Amino acid sequence: MQRLYLITGFLGAGKTTFLKNFIRLFPGQKIRLIVNEFGREGVDGALLTELDAFLTEIAGGSVFCACRMDQFEKALRETPPGTDVILVEASGLSDPTGVRKLFAQTGRFPDIDYQGAVCLVDAVRFPKLYATARTCLKQLAASDVAVVNKTDCADEAQLARTLACIRGQRPEMPLVQTAFGAVDASILDTLARARQLPAGDLPLTADLTLRRLSVRIAPTITPYDLQKFIEMFAENTFRVKGFVQTSEGMLLADCVGNVVSLRPCENVPVERAGILNVLSGAGMPMRKAVLDACRWYRDDILSVEAD
Amino acid sequence: MKELLLRTLRHEPTERAPWVPFAGVHAGKLKGYDATEMLTDADKAFEALMEVNRLYKPDGQPVIFDLQIEAECLGCDLTWAKDCPPSVSGHPLDGSDEEPPVTPCDCKIPTKQSGRIPYVLDVMRRMKAAVGETTALYGLICGPFTLASHLRGNNLFTDMYDFEDEVCDLFAFCKRVCMRMADYYIEAGMDVIAMVDPLISQISTAHFEQFMTEPYTEIFRYIREKGAFSSFFVCGDATRNVEAMCQTGPDSISVDENVNLLAAKRICERYNIAIGGNIPLTSIMLLGNQQDNMKFAVDLLDSVKDKRNFILAPGCDMPYDVPVENCIGVAQAAIETDTVREMVKNYQAEAIDTSGVELPDYANLKKPLIEVFTLDSAQCAACGYMMNAANQAVETFGDAIDMVEYKFIYKENVARCVRMGVPNLPSMYINGELKYRSIIPTRGELEQVIQQAIEACKP
Repeated sequence: MQRLYLITGFLGAGKTTFLKNFIRLFPGQKIRLIVNEFGREGVDGALLTELDAFLTEIAGGSVFCACRMDQFEKALRETPPGTDVILVEASGLSDPTGVRKLFAQTGRFPDIDYQGAVCLVDAVRFPKLYATARTCLKQLAASDVAVVNKTDCADEAQLARTLACIRGQRPEMPLVQTAFGAVDASILDTLARARQLPAGDLPLTADLTLRRLSVRIAPTITPYDLQKFIEMFAENTFRVKGFVQTSEGMLLADCVGNVVSLRPCENVPVERAGILNVLSGAGMPMRKAVLDACRWYRDDILSVEAD
Repeated sequence: MKELLLRTLRHEPTERAPWVPFAGVHAGKLKGYDATEMLTDADKAFEALMEVNRLYKPDGQPVIFDLQIEAECLGCDLTWAKDCPPSVSGHPLDGSDEEPPVTPCDCKIPTKQSGRIPYVLDVMRRMKAAVGETTALYGLICGPFTLASHLRGNNLFTDMYDFEDEVCDLFAFCKRVCMRMADYYIEAGMDVIAMVDPLISQISTAHFEQFMTEPYTEIFRYIREKGAFSSFFVCGDATRNVEAMCQTGPDSISVDENVNLLAAKRICERYNIAIGGNIPLTSIMLLGNQQDNMKFAVDLLDSVKDKRNFILAPGCDMPYDVPVENCIGVAQAAIETDTVREMVKNYQAEAIDTSGVELPDYANLKKPLIEVFTLDSAQCAACGYMMNAANQAVETFGDAIDMVEYKFIYKENVARCVRMGVPNLPSMYINGELKYRSIIPTRGELEQVIQQAIEACKP
């Protein structure tokens, strides 16, 4: 089984510098790097030789755009036998949701064990980018650990604003603060722990910052429409969960980040069926996003109520 | 049928949904040319696009699908690849994010002589002369947001935060570039001007409305005044921007597999705008087989109850290596939906009974046997060409060979296909051996192979 790690983050967040440190966490293992071709600073050949690593550069810019996923999958299929670890550096403008979906929702690479995604965040520039580039939102949503990089360049207020952005969207996400992309092996454990989807229900504590909506859904909805409905607002939530009767049976819908999981289930109490619970923080435009999504699925959404 | 597409863009009812294969660099594959050859050599591009037209029977067809044409003219560095369009690797307006972007002078707007524009216009004029009466031709232009990103690089996103006025100026310049390009392409005979702006999916609706609504509204109004139709192509999960895109007034929009097409069509209907899409590029077109593609296309067409305002198309520019037979399958599904629905049903039958199939004793044939497996040569263009090749061989060799066609529309032939292990249609077997798969042999090539088979059959 080959273990695959995804490194994401907006342009200029320090992904390549991080990668040079991260790659050293796998001594003695055969490593394959897959990167897009025009990082400002490449991983140098000497390091690759020293670590017995093999580099593939993918053409086509935004590697994980739907129209270029073929390039990524092609590179994966060409992974040499005997490879232990695959490190993928996403292009800075790319939405990594497709990669998460590739491993979570398809069986196309049964020999690859997806280990999760690290999102590099520029401690200084992130709040501005977060306000303008939806890619940042998607990168954070699709990742398991955030590495706040370049903290040496950020003053206290800048760092606080950056952390507030991350915490606003992903309060549960483990954070590592660093400079020059430096990390140690503990990040691998952090990543592994973060990958465990919280199994329980939504938190019941009376946290004053929490916002909760109950969305009542008609049993005529198809599983596909349910998934696409949730995807429209998932990035603006901490968690979406509920038992929903669909045209193809009762499903448990569960979403942390932006990849929706739909699983068949039985023996659901009547009072809980058909209600999707949506949870977010105070600063997130969850209500607007949910109501916008309802405009797309008017026939399937019966009501939206704030708890 | 060109008129079918134009009627859809006029929002009129049609008897079937028009079909527009987005064959950019993939066109080159049909003639053995790589992406770089396809995007730089007018003769090769024309030859390849004509093959797309011949095999895929499009109602509409893009001429050159390369979002870097304008950027290259404006000084961006490109990195070229063999199996996909080039990427921008150097941004002329890059620099400190502490300084605003500097908008280029209008004197820098590309002319008909800039960069690869002469090549694009040459191919457009030749395509117009060759198939312009029967196929609606699309001229593709890189949209203002993506073009600005090509020019400025990653600072564009912080510019939108720090330097709103300056970034608006840059977008306005890019808009003027787009309008000038539209002039050139409409003059070269393009029926539809498609504004292709993949990065639109990366900004919020609020930012779309702040920065893009005005440029796009003006561009689409301009295209309409010039007498052409317009389309707004986006890729990625642009769901939340679809309504704002509609509000800029294009004649159609085009979305990829990230967007729920039926739900998006309902939004577009509120604005009476056509929508195109959204056959998945990798999972279906590249990695699926021919049956997967036919099934997906039929299911998609069946799910769209009101065919008005709908265009069947891939989600975006097709990957270079999409198997030819997959696209042929989609084309056939688009044109002969009812027949293909039956084919798919036959293929999907729980267990296909092959016990009644009697195979010839291939090892002991007295003369060569040519077996052509087709979807239906009377309907499918590629199948027709494969049958023509076989018929020409019969003309040449007469009684010295046997030839038979097996059409997939008949259940007994489906069983034969399964028994023979026919990988896709059309295929040609000689003496039980697969010789040609989707690619039609030339007359000389086939005659040579048959001659060898005649020798092999001699006692």
